[in-house]
Amino acid sequence: MRGRGTGEGGRVMRASVAIAALFVFVFALPVPLPASPFPQDTSAGKAVYQKWCAGCHGDNGAGDGPGAKHMIPPPRDFTGAIYQIRSTPSGQLPTDADLLRSIDEGLFGTAMPGWKTRLSDRQRRDVLAYIKTFSSFFADTTQRPQPIAYGSAPGGGGGAEALKVGRQFYDSIGCRKCHGDQGRGDGPSAPTLKDDAGHPIFAANLHENWRFNGGGTVEDIYHRLRTGLDGTPMPSFSDLLEQKFLTDEQLWRVAQYVRSLSPQEPPVVRDVVHVPLAKRLPHSPDDSAWTAVDVYWFPLVGQIIHKERWFAPAVTGVWVKAVHTADSIALRVTWDDRSASPDTSWLPFIGRVLNTLDSDDSTREQPAPWPDQLAVQFPVTIPSGMERPYFLMGSAGAPVYQWRWSSSSRTAAVAGLARGIDRFDPLGAAAGIPTQAVYDHGQWRVVFTRALASADTASQLPFRSGRAIPVAFFAWDGSNGEHGTRMAISTWYFLALDEPVPARVFISPVLAMVLTLGLGMLVVWRAQQKTSYRKGRQ
Amino acid sequence: MRAYLRHPFWQAVGLFVLAYLVIVFVIPMLPGSAMVPSSVVLQYMATVLVGILIWVSDDEARWTTFKEPLHEVLIQPRLKLVRNGLLAAVTLVVGCLTYSQVKASVAAPPNLRSIHPAPPSQITFRGKTITLVGLENPLRKQGELAPHVAEGRRIYYQNCVPCHGDHLDGQGHFASGFNPLPANFQDNGTIAQLTESFVFWRIAKGGPGLPREGTPWNSAMPAWEDFLTEDEIWSVVLFLYDQTGWKPRTWEVTAK
Repeated sequence: MRGRGTGEGGRVMRASVAIAALFVFVFALPVPLPASPFPQDTSAGKAVYQKWCAGCHGDNGAGDGPGAKHMIPPPRDFTGAIYQIRSTPSGQLPTDADLLRSIDEGLFGTAMPGWKTRLSDRQRRDVLAYIKTFSSFFADTTQRPQPIAYGSAPGGGGGAEALKVGRQFYDSIGCRKCHGDQGRGDGPSAPTLKDDAGHPIFAANLHENWRFNGGGTVEDIYHRLRTGLDGTPMPSFSDLLEQKFLTDEQLWRVAQYVRSLSPQEPPVVRDVVHVPLAKRLPHSPDDSAWTAVDVYWFPLVGQIIHKERWFAPAVTGVWVKAVHTADSIALRVTWDDRSASPDTSWLPFIGRVLNTLDSDDSTREQPAPWPDQLAVQFPVTIPSGMERPYFLMGSAGAPVYQWRWSSSSRTAAVAGLARGIDRFDPLGAAAGIPTQAVYDHGQWRVVFTRALASADTASQLPFRSGRAIPVAFFAWDGSNGEHGTRMAISTWYFLALDEPVPARVFISPVLAMVLTLGLGMLVVWRAQQKTSYRKGRQ
Repeated sequence: MRAYLRHPFWQAVGLFVLAYLVIVFVIPMLPGSAMVPSSVVLQYMATVLVGILIWVSDDEARWTTFKEPLHEVLIQPRLKLVRNGLLAAVTLVVGCLTYSQVKASVAAPPNLRSIHPAPPSQITFRGKTITLVGLENPLRKQGELAPHVAEGRRIYYQNCVPCHGDHLDGQGHFASGFNPLPANFQDNGTIAQLTESFVFWRIAKGGPGLPREGTPWNSAMPAWEDFLTEDEIWSVVLFLYDQTGWKPRTWEVTAK
């Protein structure tokens, strides 16, 4: 095409402009019209509110609906007009766009879902108008809240130099006091935290950006740093900019550093843990051999199936790695926990948790220094069909085999049979599972090791390679008031132990390759023969 | 460039690549669409290939020109590098494909689950025998519905929201921790297809009360008879239908 006249280039250009215009037209249509001023109908909004919002936020918007006492953080109390997620300076009202964003996207890491796909544009705007009627602060329309003028993130945010600057200011502006040295929400002030209403509140675990209430991008984090989370202990750092304690670019670096603590993408659940064959078993949680092993994420949620239920679990999930040798298996479970319980400095926090939640028991329990615990659960034998014991700790007729580790005795887990959530029968000291545990800046890492074969094949699962072995996990954070049936649970997942690859597996690929190559060469040879024959005849 | 654009071989290659891009990248972007599974992509691409081959072979002249580059690669001395490269690449791909087919891998066992297993004809609710066949929601005959619906709403928000969600679509904040996922009542395949007595049974007996084909060992649904009274369960059933707008299936009235 080069040098061959502009006529054709022009045609191509015109065509692409037309196509682009068509695309813009087609995709621009469903985009809502500019956000302000919203057409607002508070009486239509009231109907939407009562149908979909009042269950948690209450008929009068006071955050006291019937669902409220089963949630931490509790639902927003609209009567105070104090909102965490804003684009406006601390202490000011949010803009309509701010409120609409929280309605549309929900608040990640909380019970508030995003309503964008669940209600129409019209319904969401009407309900937004109605929510504002709960507080007289919104009635004064002369004061229109103005968003802070945010710049954009300076480049090079992922580079070592930028992250170093971010880390430096993370320390100097005091983030680590609550969020901790490594950002897992385990700072020295963490046990003292409560919101304006006195409810317990966790400093965010900065390694789980998919749970940040206002979103997990660098921009979201920077906005929270500028505005603070009103009503919570999270302050605004805008005044430090005015005092020239740090520059805007340096605050952006803090946001970029915080973002760098979480994975690139939120973890995806894969059902089957692939357990590779190793020459040596890593017993220590920080053995370098673990770095080469694939990691698996399993979400944990509250035990809300059996009395007494638990609606506010602190452990959000476990990261699992496993390897095996010819005769043993090592399983490493890593999870974030804000304290190495038992820790008496958390007792007031436990008290606040227990006070905030409704309990199945009529008597309210007193806070106690409970330990952290973790249980790994297997069936007693690998099931041959799809039938398995009940995932929530088996049943009287079909028990499960469990390893129960506790922070109060870190070097061994108790092996036993669970026959339902409230019955655990230990198998005796000989069946105990050796463990090595490390508590490191808001994270437990525990390695369980066991022989593949077992002395008692009826109750202690013999591990076999090449089979899907059901596994489940349970975690208790003692400093969140968790013990007994108050815990975080998972459903059944699987372990699959690799077999050594037999030589016969390589035969068929090699055979296929030889055949393909032979055929290919034959085709080429035939084509060339034919051509030279034809040439010869000419 | 122009010569390439006009050549049937390169047109065919272009079409093939374009079809792939559309199937893999454009279709998921359409509203209401989703990622195309790889097996379906394979089927589509096979269809596209057949279509292209029919088109190029439809015309004798086009077919001859189409074959030219292929033939050139096979015989031209100057294309020796391309020829050998292609041979090696095809051989390698075949080797890798075969290896991935024969190597042992362990998958999660299939989860064959009946979503709406047949209910028993009667159940024992806290020691009381309740016959499910022909059973209607007794609250529908007790005066005003609104107070019962309000009671059901209260119970739903206190107990059911973490899994079944504020929107009753099975996407509560604990839903992702469970398998099977909590039932989506907004979907036309759940309560919309069931009688109220079936829904009562599922709430009262939960996961542990499922027959074997319902894989009771996986279900996180509690047995609500441990928490709620008979009337409380019936009021939740009322609320589910009221909030979603579905009508329960009714028993056929048998003529006398």
